[in-house]
Amino acid sequence: MHYAMGGIETDKFGATRIPGVYAAGEVACVSVHGANRLGGNSLLETIVFGARSAKHAVQYIKSVGSVRQSERTLKSEQDRINGILARKGGERHSAVRKKMNAVMSDNVFIFRKEDELTRAVEGLREVREAAKTMTVMDKSKTFNTDLVGLLETEFLVDVAQPIALGALNRTESRGAQARVDYPERDDEKWLVHSLMHYTGEDPRPDYTRKVTFTKYKPEVRSY
Amino acid sequence: MSKITLDLFRFDPAVDDEPHRERVDIDFPDTQTVLDALEYAKAEVDGSISFRRSCRSAICGSCSMNINGTTGLACKTPVSQVLKSDNSVAVDPMPNFQPMKDLVVHMDPFWDKYSRLKPYLQPADKDSDHERERRVSPEDMKKLVAVANCVMCATCYALCPVVSVDPAFAGPAAIAYAYRFIEDVRDAKRSERTAQIADDYLWLCAHCYACSYCPKHVDPHDDIIAVKRAAIEEGQIDGRGPRHALVIAKTIKATGMLHETEVIQGTVGRFNIRGLVKVAPFGIRLALAGKIPPLFLKPVPKVDEIRTIFDTLEAPVLS
Repeated sequence: MHYAMGGIETDKFGATRIPGVYAAGEVACVSVHGANRLGGNSLLETIVFGARSAKHAVQYIKSVGSVRQSERTLKSEQDRINGILARKGGERHSAVRKKMNAVMSDNVFIFRKEDELTRAVEGLREVREAAKTMTVMDKSKTFNTDLVGLLETEFLVDVAQPIALGALNRTESRGAQARVDYPERDDEKWLVHSLMHYTGEDPRPDYTRKVTFTKYKPEVRSY
Repeated sequence: MSKITLDLFRFDPAVDDEPHRERVDIDFPDTQTVLDALEYAKAEVDGSISFRRSCRSAICGSCSMNINGTTGLACKTPVSQVLKSDNSVAVDPMPNFQPMKDLVVHMDPFWDKYSRLKPYLQPADKDSDHERERRVSPEDMKKLVAVANCVMCATCYALCPVVSVDPAFAGPAAIAYAYRFIEDVRDAKRSERTAQIADDYLWLCAHCYACSYCPKHVDPHDDIIAVKRAAIEEGQIDGRGPRHALVIAKTIKATGMLHETEVIQGTVGRFNIRGLVKVAPFGIRLALAGKIPPLFLKPVPKVDEIRTIFDTLEAPVLS
């Protein structure tokens, strides 16, 4: 894959809905690229939104004053990591990652259709289940790339599910979304952002945020 | 598919006193890269094999390591190119670095030297930096294009014999990066930068060209020469390094030959009695070996033609 269109929702200052949490770069979605980022335009992330986020974050830090570090949060994170290192019995994370890759490559590729996307959403539920017990071989506390790989796999499942569900729900073709069963753009129904919230196991879709246009309006690509 | 063996340097400071070697057999197509082979071994055989990697396409510079005795990016090295006759590949951490774990090394000395350069633009009008673009002509940009490809993989640093004997030496990448700002028309700190890099032993570079092997074709060696030249242009000639370079040029321009007696005096300093006494044993050994440099040199015939070369190149010469 070349670029993730989408990511953590931010405003134009890189601020997310969680106060004090900023996102910039490919991880973020400032919504400047529309439904498909054009070549060379990630420069916006690298030279514009990184700096804007940093400046805004500095202002935020000044406004909140000193922050007490939470021993409880620290402890729960330590317990979580130690728990992963001590885990036994489950599949290795590299095997789970391979399954997830297969589900995505087979069903959520360039040209998408309902039955495949449904299979992907179901397949990813199984992957998420397997991810709960996946294990590492490296138990070391020094530069543990095995552990990093496991954490990455957890996050990738978090990202894969919204991508598959978003593609399934969006019954139209727009930008990088190419549905063979819905080849047309549907502005009546789909001039909305695909937001996903994690409140339970599955991502919960939210289509309340409308797309607003200022200077440029979407047009049919006729060249 | 073919059977290949990864002959790995293994070291985990938590359990090992000393590094050891481990041979890992894998079924793996030799058309792929050494990094692919390592990833495969880590995923399928032993998850504890540790190495740095990120982009897998020679852009991030993370996976520099020693492959069969020479350093380079694992993601850019096909297995077929390095496979030994027994179908094995030896993989070690980069030399000139302290191993941290397996193929991962402590990069701190490399980054410390880099950050001392202040590797960011320092324009004269810093305060108004958001008011307008700073434009560079395509002509001025040309000088910076090659070095802008540097991915900080530290391959040149690992290959540098001067770093191996004197870890205080800045190393090729840092000097190349200094060049990147020294030659940037928007930057206002040229002389501060050349002085700073000279403090980091710029003049220790022995011009051996080892760093000319660069996965991104930056060729830091050319930049090192340019930085030395810039230091002289900034008038920073009070040191053994610049004096040595200048006096060599001076004797060749004057006589057409390297006048060793004068080079030693010029480098150490003609009135530096203690320094001269220090190099005296070297002179005596030379004399005992029958290599007595003449005190005076007669210019070679047609020395004018040699002088023309210097004038044409506008090469700096000690006056």
